[in-house]
Amino acid sequence: MAGDREGRRGLAAALSLPAVATVSLGFLLPVVWLARMSLNPSDASGALGEGWTLHHYKELVTDSFYADLALASLKMSVTATFFALMVGYPIALFLHRLESRWKTLLVLLAICPLLVSGVVRAYGWIVILGDAGWINSMLKGAGLIDRPIRLVNNHVGVAIGLTESLLPYMTLSLLAGLGRLDRGLEEAARTLGASPLRTFLRITLPLSLPAVVLGSTICFMLAISAFVTPRLLGGGRVFLLATEIYDQALLTLNWPLAATIAVAILVLFSLVLVASGRLQRRVAQ
Amino acid sequence: MLARAALAFAALLATVASAGAQPAGEITVMAYAGIFEDKYKAAVIVPFTQQFPQVKVNYFTAGNSAQMLGTLRAQRSSPQIDVAILDVSVSNVGNKEGVFSRLDPAKVPSLKELHALAAVPGGFGPAVTFDHWVLVYDVEKVKPAPAGLADLWDPRFKGQLGLSAMPNIQGIVATVLASKIVGEDYKVSIDGAMKRLKDLGPSVQTFDPQPDGYTLILGNTLTVASGWNARAQLYHDDSKGRLGVVFPKEGSVFQINTINLVAGSKNPEAATAFIEHALGRDAQKRFTESMFYAPTNAKAEVAPAAIARTAASPDNMARMIPLDWDWVTTIRDAWNNRWRREVIAGR
Repeated sequence: MAGDREGRRGLAAALSLPAVATVSLGFLLPVVWLARMSLNPSDASGALGEGWTLHHYKELVTDSFYADLALASLKMSVTATFFALMVGYPIALFLHRLESRWKTLLVLLAICPLLVSGVVRAYGWIVILGDAGWINSMLKGAGLIDRPIRLVNNHVGVAIGLTESLLPYMTLSLLAGLGRLDRGLEEAARTLGASPLRTFLRITLPLSLPAVVLGSTICFMLAISAFVTPRLLGGGRVFLLATEIYDQALLTLNWPLAATIAVAILVLFSLVLVASGRLQRRVAQ
Repeated sequence: MLARAALAFAALLATVASAGAQPAGEITVMAYAGIFEDKYKAAVIVPFTQQFPQVKVNYFTAGNSAQMLGTLRAQRSSPQIDVAILDVSVSNVGNKEGVFSRLDPAKVPSLKELHALAAVPGGFGPAVTFDHWVLVYDVEKVKPAPAGLADLWDPRFKGQLGLSAMPNIQGIVATVLASKIVGEDYKVSIDGAMKRLKDLGPSVQTFDPQPDGYTLILGNTLTVASGWNARAQLYHDDSKGRLGVVFPKEGSVFQINTINLVAGSKNPEAATAFIEHALGRDAQKRFTESMFYAPTNAKAEVAPAAIARTAASPDNMARMIPLDWDWVTTIRDAWNNRWRREVIAGR
């Protein structure tokens, strides 16, 4: 009996070996290598040295610039996630309730921005939001402004671009979560005399909260690690952790510092994941 | 008769001997992508393979200079690239890390013909192109044209400027020129330059023009931007003169690309022959005439019309401001922080 159990355990270990090997090689090893790189010394020119140092971690903690960066990244990610939720929730709810043969097509439409590269979408926003773009031209044409308002090459542009890039992920996560929402409960509330608003606040919203937490977590993760959108729409004015990694790795050549910031983001990720997991369990109860 | 036969035989022997030393095999040259690749292949690589038909040259691109060094770092144990053309501030790092080999002056005789500014300490790969910082503007919308950096404070440019900031090396040149405007020595202090540039901040539409300033001007987003001469001259021609190019009245600073032999190259003979070819008078002349990088070979006889559009014209040469790119790496972080906090954030 005991031998049988042991044999089964051995089989399970053997069967999970390919997966463990893939994860170790594909994910763990690069992270270990990243952590090792963050401990390498580097001189002012960016030349890599031999040995170990905690210098870059010290720099990260003591230089207030990096605290500002972390705060700016948090703010930007929360803002973009919030707006993606505000826009994505009604869309997801509408698609969930829709009983039409066009439903599949509409769901596809909601996620089709994912088929277009982020770079192309960012350039699209430059065309729309620029000084000579559609929005400024319309406002000017309507006589509401005389000088174009700056909607791109600053934080506003990055927030708009990021929100749009997160929207399909938010909509998809919400749709998946709303699948568990029982229509009968809403109908029961309405039959018992609750107003549509009250039904939404007391029934629909609480039941969809796990989906909201899941969607927000995914979007927050994507937002804090996004660098293409901030780079293309920020006009060199928006400094975030992800863009700083790019600058340090690919412009200033300070790989150890770039690796240190990447490790810091990983730690931040883990904290958010833990918090989100707890929150999800709580709202599910 | 006998003497003539002996001479002919000697000549034949010499040919055979040199043919034996002819480089052969395959090399990979890494340099910039896009228009640089097209022009460099036509002006330098094709003539090289005509001269040495036994050598196959692959052209490899990996983004900007830092990305190129990243590729070389990753291949340290088994280099797949033999020759790399990249910015001097990055190749200096490669020299320090042992990514590149020293050149053998006996095998690269053109080294003796190079401009004094082209030399790199330690006998490492020298400069192969000189470019310089310029202002570009929309000829149709901007009248009169700006004469230099100092003119950009004019309110007529408000919100229409593209000024590439640090860590882009264009930002380093802008700092040096701003120091000159306020009359300070950038090696001692850049306080004045930072103060002046901070005042310019609100006028700047973007500190990081994407994809670049030339395209944004031709796309009606900006009217004036900073740029590099070679590409600006090409955009000038492509736009039929709509993109104007200004050599700033304050002067300008060289951007230098070096050509380097990768340490551990599997075919150093052919790679060295390619470097000699690239630094030679003919290749230098052809590339300058097709892309307006100033030649680094002082003996290259470039057509006057092309020379006039580079920093190598006597007028422009006299106004170049010397900048030690190796020294720049020691202050780069400090300047970068000041740009972010003072110029861009306006604090």
